[in-house]
Amino acid sequence: MPQVKIIAKNFMDMVASLPAMKLDALYHNTFICEAILRSLPPLAKKYVLQMLYIDVPVTAKAMEEWVLADGFSKHRVAIDRLIQLRVFTETSDRKKETSYRLNPTFQTNLQKHLIYGGVLPREPMPSNITVRLPSLDDLEAYALVQWECFLLQLINSTQTEKLTNFSSSLMKVFQRGLLTQREKEAPRLTESGFQFLLMDTNAQLWYIMREYISNSEERGVDPADLISFLLELSFHVTGEAYNINTLTEFQRNTIKDLADLGLVKLQQGRKESWFIPTKLATNLSMSLSDTSSRKQGFVVVETNFRLYAYSSSKLHCEILRLFSRVEYQLPNLIVGAITKESLYNAFENGITAEQIISFLQQNAHPRVAERTPSVPENVTDQIRLWETDLNRVEMMPSHLYDEFPSRDVFDAACDYAREYGGLLWEDSKKMRLVVKAEIHLHMREYLRRPK
Amino acid sequence: MAIGRSAVMAPVPSKLYSDDVSLLMVLLDTNPFFWSTASIPFSKFLSHVLAFLNSILLINQFNQVVVIATGCNSCNFIFDSSSVPANPNLENGRMPALCSNLLQKLEEFVTGDEKLSKEVLAAGIGSSLLSGSLSMALCYIQRVFRTGPLHPQPRILCLQGSPDGPEQYVAVMNAIFSAQRSMVPIDSCVLGAQHSAFLQQASYITGGVYLKPQQLDGLFQYLSTVFATDLHSRRFLQLPKPAGVDFRASCFCHKNTIDMGYICSVCLSIFCKHHKKCSTCGRKRQSSLEG
Repeated sequence: MPQVKIIAKNFMDMVASLPAMKLDALYHNTFICEAILRSLPPLAKKYVLQMLYIDVPVTAKAMEEWVLADGFSKHRVAIDRLIQLRVFTETSDRKKETSYRLNPTFQTNLQKHLIYGGVLPREPMPSNITVRLPSLDDLEAYALVQWECFLLQLINSTQTEKLTNFSSSLMKVFQRGLLTQREKEAPRLTESGFQFLLMDTNAQLWYIMREYISNSEERGVDPADLISFLLELSFHVTGEAYNINTLTEFQRNTIKDLADLGLVKLQQGRKESWFIPTKLATNLSMSLSDTSSRKQGFVVVETNFRLYAYSSSKLHCEILRLFSRVEYQLPNLIVGAITKESLYNAFENGITAEQIISFLQQNAHPRVAERTPSVPENVTDQIRLWETDLNRVEMMPSHLYDEFPSRDVFDAACDYAREYGGLLWEDSKKMRLVVKAEIHLHMREYLRRPK
Repeated sequence: MAIGRSAVMAPVPSKLYSDDVSLLMVLLDTNPFFWSTASIPFSKFLSHVLAFLNSILLINQFNQVVVIATGCNSCNFIFDSSSVPANPNLENGRMPALCSNLLQKLEEFVTGDEKLSKEVLAAGIGSSLLSGSLSMALCYIQRVFRTGPLHPQPRILCLQGSPDGPEQYVAVMNAIFSAQRSMVPIDSCVLGAQHSAFLQQASYITGGVYLKPQQLDGLFQYLSTVFATDLHSRRFLQLPKPAGVDFRASCFCHKNTIDMGYICSVCLSIFCKHHKKCSTCGRKRQSSLEG
């Protein structure tokens, strides 16, 4: 099985990979136009705005005059992206001059937006029906707890207590690539699984969503519908209640899954039921895949390699256990030490020193986060050194020659190999030498040549 | 200053803001003396500006827009996108929150400004209080700077129609220099018939863009093509270059714009006539002559 490299690509790459027909259909939804526009590189956004009221195609040459010489590569990137997402359509006239124009659906939708302003996808429910709405802080806490539950279940599938309502088949889909799934063997985290755990929440969420979307066809759901619903969801206001009856059948099914992930909170009143989007949902369409979700850090690393984590979360403990020796656990504190053995364990599992360091930095306790560096330099240096220790040995395919008939032949062979820059080692006493594999053929020919 | 700021920015581990997040301070000229003679009606101008503001807010969810109205006697904040309630009251279904909020505040402001002008008729009629709104914008930006290392990149856009008021020379120049110090570019879009020397200098000194649109009917196109450019993209785009800058100063004594004058050798105050004693710093005998 090819190794799955986890890259937290953003939502829009997924959108861009949709077939052209589906993509065009998506642009009938204003929110998608808006989300797509926001995801574009700055220069591309600028071009869209500039072209918004131009109804005739603009030649590529004319557009090139907009940029300075320095910005040409950025210009290319912007144009490519616009074409990839079918925001710009390319036309060539008789003289083979390419020109671009905005996708008409996209254009009218954005024009409407500019004149009438942004509208909400659906109106929130009046507060007299929805009693006891959670506060924003409660909602965020809820989202995090839900997300952690999900992660715990993801990595500890053997756990008996069932935390979320995901069907085991769906859970398997999520675990694909993160856990090894061999028969009669407890599932173990793979290299990418470890990397996944160290990513920040938004990146993790994106990874899971990507799996969820790519699996949607097997569940009989159109990926385009799902993407459009998720994007629409990200334009809802955090903390407001929205009536579930405004959703379609498929959306209602989806929202249950999303509630398990902590993207929305479901509540039931006397007659109606409603969903409340959390921050996780509204962050979904964000183009910045590297936004730290600004949650409070909890880790303090001291110069003596000891590690204090102010957390009661099981998940945090599991993550710390990946690269440190957890010594004891108090109700709100996990104490551990970063040791050579614990790090070697991590490195063996495919975690890199940089990942560990960036995890420690990103989750630094607020008290140490304001210091620079937030993780002591001697610790970060040592982690890097221990990693390079493992890379001391370099493998190189090579060939060993021995039993030379005479010293002259041996010396000549050595010189020959040296000339090619392929001599790795020689032992003149026992007349043996090792050469790189790539010059083996030359070497053999040389030795066979009659003297 | 530049070094200072980048040193503060450096240790931020992961960027919450991408490069193009901007804070746009729009100074809106509401001077009735100008708009009664302008080539496009105020309402039409406003619709262009509103569409422009909408487009700024559209292109990045973190973008922030603040509008300051510049009247002839006062100036005031009339819109701040960061303080719009997340849940706009939907009583007026068709009118989006931005417009209704802004228009209401604008109306209040204009009537308030009008009242003031009846009381103080002697004030220089014809020019609007650019210095006041510039300082308000800079104060707002300073407050944003102090919120921490993560803030949107600020810039000021002056939509100015009325002619310069020479009596504001010192105040405007001070505002320009403090904008330069805090690296805030001042963009100017001049809607009146004449060029504005103040704004030419402001944009020149702070590295902003100065533009006097030829046709005000297509104002939105000018705004979106030139002034919607965030500071990050400006490094890569062709933008209008200043054709010439009017560097003339106003004298401190009579507030007249002068070509030649006397400068105090100590405090650099400018006077149109020779004085025995500098009225600004009290130093006697100034003799330098400005070219």
